[in-house]
Amino acid sequence: MSDAVALRPPRTLPLGVLLLAIPLLLAIAGLVIRYLAFAATVPDASIASFAQGMCRWDCAWYVKLSQTGYDPFPVPTMINAGNWAFFPLYPILVAIVRTLTGLETIVAATGLSILLCIASARVAWPLLGRDLRAYTLFSAFLVAGPFSIWLTTFYTEVLFLFLTLCVFAALQNKHFLLAGLFAALLSATRIVGVFIVFAILIEIWQAHRANGGNWRNFVPAVLQRPDRLLALFIAPLGLFAYMAYLHFHIGDALAFSHVQRAWSRPTGNPVVFVWNALTSFPREGWAPTPSQQLAVAVLVGYALSIVLLVKRRYGMAVYALICLTLPLFAGMASVLRFTAALAPMPLMLTELLASRRWLFALALLGLLLAGYFTTIGWLTGYLSLV
Amino acid sequence: MSSSLRLGAYILCGLVALFELGVVWLLLHPDVPPDYRAYYIDKTTTCLNQPVSGSYSLGAVIPFTPEGKDAAKPIRVCGWEGPTGDGTHAVGTSARLRFAYAEPATALTLHLSMVAVEKSGHLMPQRVEIVANGMLLDTVSLNAPTPQQFSLALPAPADGRVELELRFPDAVQMGATDPDNRLRSIKLLSAALLPADQV
Repeated sequence: MSDAVALRPPRTLPLGVLLLAIPLLLAIAGLVIRYLAFAATVPDASIASFAQGMCRWDCAWYVKLSQTGYDPFPVPTMINAGNWAFFPLYPILVAIVRTLTGLETIVAATGLSILLCIASARVAWPLLGRDLRAYTLFSAFLVAGPFSIWLTTFYTEVLFLFLTLCVFAALQNKHFLLAGLFAALLSATRIVGVFIVFAILIEIWQAHRANGGNWRNFVPAVLQRPDRLLALFIAPLGLFAYMAYLHFHIGDALAFSHVQRAWSRPTGNPVVFVWNALTSFPREGWAPTPSQQLAVAVLVGYALSIVLLVKRRYGMAVYALICLTLPLFAGMASVLRFTAALAPMPLMLTELLASRRWLFALALLGLLLAGYFTTIGWLTGYLSLV
Repeated sequence: MSSSLRLGAYILCGLVALFELGVVWLLLHPDVPPDYRAYYIDKTTTCLNQPVSGSYSLGAVIPFTPEGKDAAKPIRVCGWEGPTGDGTHAVGTSARLRFAYAEPATALTLHLSMVAVEKSGHLMPQRVEIVANGMLLDTVSLNAPTPQQFSLALPAPADGRVELELRFPDAVQMGATDPDNRLRSIKLLSAALLPADQV
């Protein structure tokens, strides 16, 4: 059987059911994998303590934010790091789910995150070229892979990824206004979400070119299409709404940025940061240092962005390059998380890994195994997964 | 798209643009307390004034060790990290302590035990400007690898409140990319404020 034939979905199940069943089954597998790692690592592990036990680092900030809202100034706990750096949309959604269900915050967040992962996979189906192998890998990446520690707990990354996919799915169908609406939500989820406006602009330009337009009549053409104009205007609305809230809450619309000072993040040249991280060799043994792990993540991200460019997915490529590069001005902290949850990255990666049947099988196995070992690294602090 | 829908879309564009312009105006005009502005926006200080009570009994020696953490907490305003080992590190270009006491006193003596930090195994000599209630009391030099003790006289304020600031003009960068609020200078081992007649 050729690969082309192998890409076709099996006929025994309706496609709609299959597209739901794959991420659902993998989500269950992911839960089992992470629980096994949790039970192997944490003393007195129980199912009741699982969701809370998986909640590490920034997760705890999101839990508190969802429960108590934004800090006033001065911060009641008398620390410099107010929680204004954390964007509001996902904590708000979790608070709504918690209120409706009566569940604990972290349990509500875990459930919602897994649902968003499944929804993300479904939204990604057309973006993956309706390739069932890529779809399976993408689903495994989200719900059972090494980065499921973030995507299925309480990090804003899962909503960020979901909304990014919604924007690109809408753009694929030339629904620019819908893309703008999703972009507005995206910009209320993470600061870099606002830059998806460039992807929308590029897609509008490509649609303009496809209709025989050129750069001279581009602006007049956009001005004559109020739906496209509106898409561009509303794309950053989430960020602007959050800034307005911060101004009326503590008097500083840029508090989310200014508060970074409290984390004492260095600022500098991204190239220098990546080079220093890459050349931070281990003092003994061969295991890459945490800095090297982060540098490799960044380089893989750039390599995938170049593949996107080569494949002429300019909107995704430009958006990915911006989202990869901007955080690097503040050092290497969290870049693995930022890269993994940048939707064009797993989209492109799983598409490449699905190109051969043997590679697909190997990648699927690798993702599931990595899901187990990364969870152990997450819980023990062995891996640099902040 | 019908003409009324087009008109509605243009009006919506205008409203969104107005809102966004309004927010830009807000972000250019922050309305924040001076402490907030100095630390987060202007970055003229590395020490963000925290509203600790300063609750303190005159004569008490406060150890800045892990064991003395609870006693130190109400007087630690900002610019401190730890405690760790035998003391608490100052971070940034200044650090502050607050003493709010109820006992009557006409004159006070400040006792400080401090040691300069080391970098790569080498002592980094430090000058420390000691400022109480805005008045420079003295500039002391830390140049020994072991803790040094300092005693300084100061007038007792009428309101029983001493705002002590230690400034570190020789603070050093420990890592190549460390920002100013990560600079290191001294480790504080203990602090005490005594009525002058008890010294």
